[in-house]
Amino acid sequence: MRITSPRVEVFGGRPRRGGAVLASVLVFCVLILSAQAPARNRQGSVLQSWILTAAAPLASAVSTVSRAATGAADAVLETFSARSENVLLKKELAEKSRELFQLRAELDQVARERRLSAAPVLPRVVGTAPVLLVQRRAGLYGALVGAGSRSGVVAGSPIAVAEGLVGRVVTVGRGVSRVQLLLDASAAAGARIVRTGELGVVRGDGRGALTLNNIPTASRVHAGDFVESAGIDGIYPRGVPIGRVESVSRGSDLFLEIRVRPAAPFSRLTDVLVLAPSPAAVESLGGSRRAGS
Amino acid sequence: MRARRIALLLLAATVLQFFLGASRHRGAWPVDWFLIATAVVARGGNFTRAVLAGASAGFLEDALGHDLLGMNAFAKAAIGYVLAVISVRVVFGGALAVGGALAAASLANDAIVAALARLLLQAPIVLFSFDSLSRAAATGLAGGLLEAAWRFSWREWWEKRRLRRLR
Repeated sequence: MRITSPRVEVFGGRPRRGGAVLASVLVFCVLILSAQAPARNRQGSVLQSWILTAAAPLASAVSTVSRAATGAADAVLETFSARSENVLLKKELAEKSRELFQLRAELDQVARERRLSAAPVLPRVVGTAPVLLVQRRAGLYGALVGAGSRSGVVAGSPIAVAEGLVGRVVTVGRGVSRVQLLLDASAAAGARIVRTGELGVVRGDGRGALTLNNIPTASRVHAGDFVESAGIDGIYPRGVPIGRVESVSRGSDLFLEIRVRPAAPFSRLTDVLVLAPSPAAVESLGGSRRAGS
Repeated sequence: MRARRIALLLLAATVLQFFLGASRHRGAWPVDWFLIATAVVARGGNFTRAVLAGASAGFLEDALGHDLLGMNAFAKAAIGYVLAVISVRVVFGGALAVGGALAAASLANDAIVAALARLLLQAPIVLFSFDSLSRAAATGLAGGLLEAAWRFSWREWWEKRRLRRLR
């Protein structure tokens, strides 16, 4: 049989060995996936860690070249757009000044609340790391950062930027680590609405936004409220900004549907802070290692 | 296509993925280079190589940025097979067809990964998100442009240009 059209010709060919190879590869993938699935919330597999370690030199070299190239291109473009940008920056500065005034007032309030609840100080920063790669597929958000076990990074280390929480390390290589971003559809963090003090769970919706769950319908939360990590999940430390409430609507019978705009600029992450893991995370990691050994 | 060429192709895809991924403007051009590498191998019409190249590309992608090793390998092996079937049975006549096929393959890749993530991670199924559509568009466009560049008779163009200059 042969069908011909101006752009496309169709033949009646038949795959031979390919079907068998495909079936074996798919079965192999299913076996590998099944073997990993139960351990997904602890830490990445040893194989993944090895691959990350092997990829580290290539990743670092290519990202250095990429950063240099994009930096040079940006510098050239910025020269042309400097004047118009100056006007915009002046406007932005005025807005930021107003925002700063409001934030200082909120900060005072938060500091007062912290003193009252004797909260621990913000976590120690282990170091900074460049973002080498961000992968977004089917609601799964991951990133590679250029710091590994050599720099003191361990699985479970929270990742943040100055603006807010970014995610946590799941697999550690020697010079590169893999991070699950907070936007990932299977990521979650204990959260607290600063103004009302209510606790909930922030989850990634897999589409670039966050939802705040488990806040009762009787809550006084409204758009613009500041949300921070609550330190109740044993992974993320307390008091790191997560975002601001974008919209509140009535959800199911018991809880509100709250959308949160992330504080961290996920679309243009360049460098991140690696924080010291919470004692609970270190303990559970040690426990799982002891159980494994 | 020889195994060495396939390895070089996968290396090039990895380098491009890192090169664009490290940039601040990574969201502007979210091409799935591993899918393009798989499609290039599948175009040769060898089913075994297409499946193995797809699986290797998927494994690399999983190792570099995903929760579970094997999700993209599963998807890309299947897509490699389908693209090999298409390349054996259908002769595409232009960049538009190649771009369209790659965009559809990118969406299919996302759908398979979403289904596996649902099964294995209990993650909500996210289909046709902005990320997914923009990646499909960028991959299709990049594939179409590469096809057009591959098919373009550069030598003739260069000769014509040289003759025009001499006149």
